[in-house]
Amino acid sequence: MTFVYACRATLSKVPPLALLAIGAFVFLGIFSSWLAPYNPNTQNLLLAGQGPGADHWFGTDHLGRDTFSRLIVASRTSLVGVFLVLILANTVGICIGTIAGYRRGWTDEVLMRFVDVGLAIPSLIIALAVIGIFGTSYWNMIISLALAWWPGSARISRGVALNIMNKPHIEALRVLGASPLRIYFFHLLPGTIGAVLVYATADAGAIALAIATLSFLGLGIQPPTPEWGQMLVDALPYLEGDPRQVILPGLALTFAVIGFNILGESFALNRVPAPMSRRMLVSRRRVTASWKKVMV
Amino acid sequence: MISLISKRIWQSLLLLFLASVLCFSLVISAPGNVAILIAELRSPIVSKEDIAKVAEEIGLNKPLPLRYVGWLGDAIQGNFGISYKTGEDVGESLEKRLSITATLIAGGAAFALMGSLFLGFVGALYAHRMPDYLARGAALISASTPSFFVGALLVYAFSVALRIFPTFGYGGPISWVLPWTTIGLLPASVLSRVVRVGLEEAMARPYVLTAMSKGLTRSQILFRDAMPNIIPTYLSALGTQVGVMVVGAVVIEPMFAWQGVGELFLTGVRFRDFMVVQACLLIFITFFIVVNLTVDVGMMLTDPKLRRQRS
Repeated sequence: MTFVYACRATLSKVPPLALLAIGAFVFLGIFSSWLAPYNPNTQNLLLAGQGPGADHWFGTDHLGRDTFSRLIVASRTSLVGVFLVLILANTVGICIGTIAGYRRGWTDEVLMRFVDVGLAIPSLIIALAVIGIFGTSYWNMIISLALAWWPGSARISRGVALNIMNKPHIEALRVLGASPLRIYFFHLLPGTIGAVLVYATADAGAIALAIATLSFLGLGIQPPTPEWGQMLVDALPYLEGDPRQVILPGLALTFAVIGFNILGESFALNRVPAPMSRRMLVSRRRVTASWKKVMV
Repeated sequence: MISLISKRIWQSLLLLFLASVLCFSLVISAPGNVAILIAELRSPIVSKEDIAKVAEEIGLNKPLPLRYVGWLGDAIQGNFGISYKTGEDVGESLEKRLSITATLIAGGAAFALMGSLFLGFVGALYAHRMPDYLARGAALISASTPSFFVGALLVYAFSVALRIFPTFGYGGPISWVLPWTTIGLLPASVLSRVVRVGLEEAMARPYVLTAMSKGLTRSQILFRDAMPNIIPTYLSALGTQVGVMVVGAVVIEPMFAWQGVGELFLTGVRFRDFMVVQACLLIFITFFIVVNLTVDVGMMLTDPKLRRQRS
């Protein structure tokens, strides 16, 4: 229930542009196979490098593939990747974070030192290093990104778990004789998951960007699977003659990431109120204080 | 104050130690036998004795802690072993490339510094008016644009269409402008938000009210009363951003055909050249930790609340 409340409370606060961008991204990702007018991988060299027209709305690329279809199908590639990374990273992160928040003491110390190391290194560098050791493949990319992102999730879930453990109802449960496992699985974990998943959505933009960057570098999604970063690097040699094939995937990616960044910003407002005027600052503080109660 | 700084230094050393263990264990966990790789590099025909000889030579038979100590000792002296793919000395190629990456990051940091201060102050000076909205919109868009797309757009605009700057290469300041802009745009936009929000917060404080009642203008208050308040926060954000610029270097150096450390790392990753990946990773991690340490010490020195704190 906490999760539903958190969702409802935050959804109403999300700026419309973010809702539009993320909604479009998710919608295109889910229904891409029905929405794309052509098979994204069908090559037709006779039609290569065409401009926009009635048949091909955004033209065709250097192999004669329909750019519009490829852009749409690429959103699915991205969406599935982001989803998998978020699930994996948050499963590990929430487990580690809640254990650290529940046990405290030296368990907390040791686990958080590992988290510190993970947070001290930029995520993409971790992901690149892991790919460099284990080789390039789809699942290696997903796992490497999850490895790069779990420390952030662990840090947040630890904070949330500490907060929950300090609440009176946990104390009441202890007094009533609830077993540690019961407190952990029925009270601590559900509350933490709800709050952490809200923050995780804001991370989705950075993960989409990382997937695109890895694909751009040739280490993520391999051709012919359409993906924005990979489409961009594919078209880069033809930049002079056909810049549209570079600009379109870039714009699609930027639009999706802008949506997630606005979303993240509106979440950040919950924690650190961005000041407006003095008077607005006071009222905003009052409002954000009430959000916090709903979220955690 | 001194104990606070020394505590911070110890923390960094611990972090560095753990990170080096991570670096080392990453290569240990690599699939495949390193000795076979090296033996194959030396001669086309590999016998079992050759592999055993190589394993003995590079100390694969020693226990792990001993190997770690040996590796770390070599790494501190700048000896990172030889590349499994090219046979080059990794330490030497790193040395050659460091100045290029340093140029990129220093220029990018300078761009980020100037850009963020400009955008942030414009936003704060014309708060909630057109220039502010423009600055914020520009920051939001450039913070969301992937750096490779920025690079492609800049190359298209300034090299292909306008023919002002060269498309790629590392030859003189003219060719540095585009990579600097590409790498500096993201940190500039992130930092401009820090400046903008920090100034706004400072402007809501009572001492600003006092300054206003004295009759000072908004820009005077901004520079004299509000600015010192944001310096500690700004410094710490700048440190993080400069650290993250290494990611930008990995993406942007190959784009502009700069033979820097980022490009070396990427080639290492592509060809699974463990020694190169390990060496670059260690250098990157050391760079982040040192930058963050420097920034934190700077923050403690510039923040009177921290400076006067008795720890």
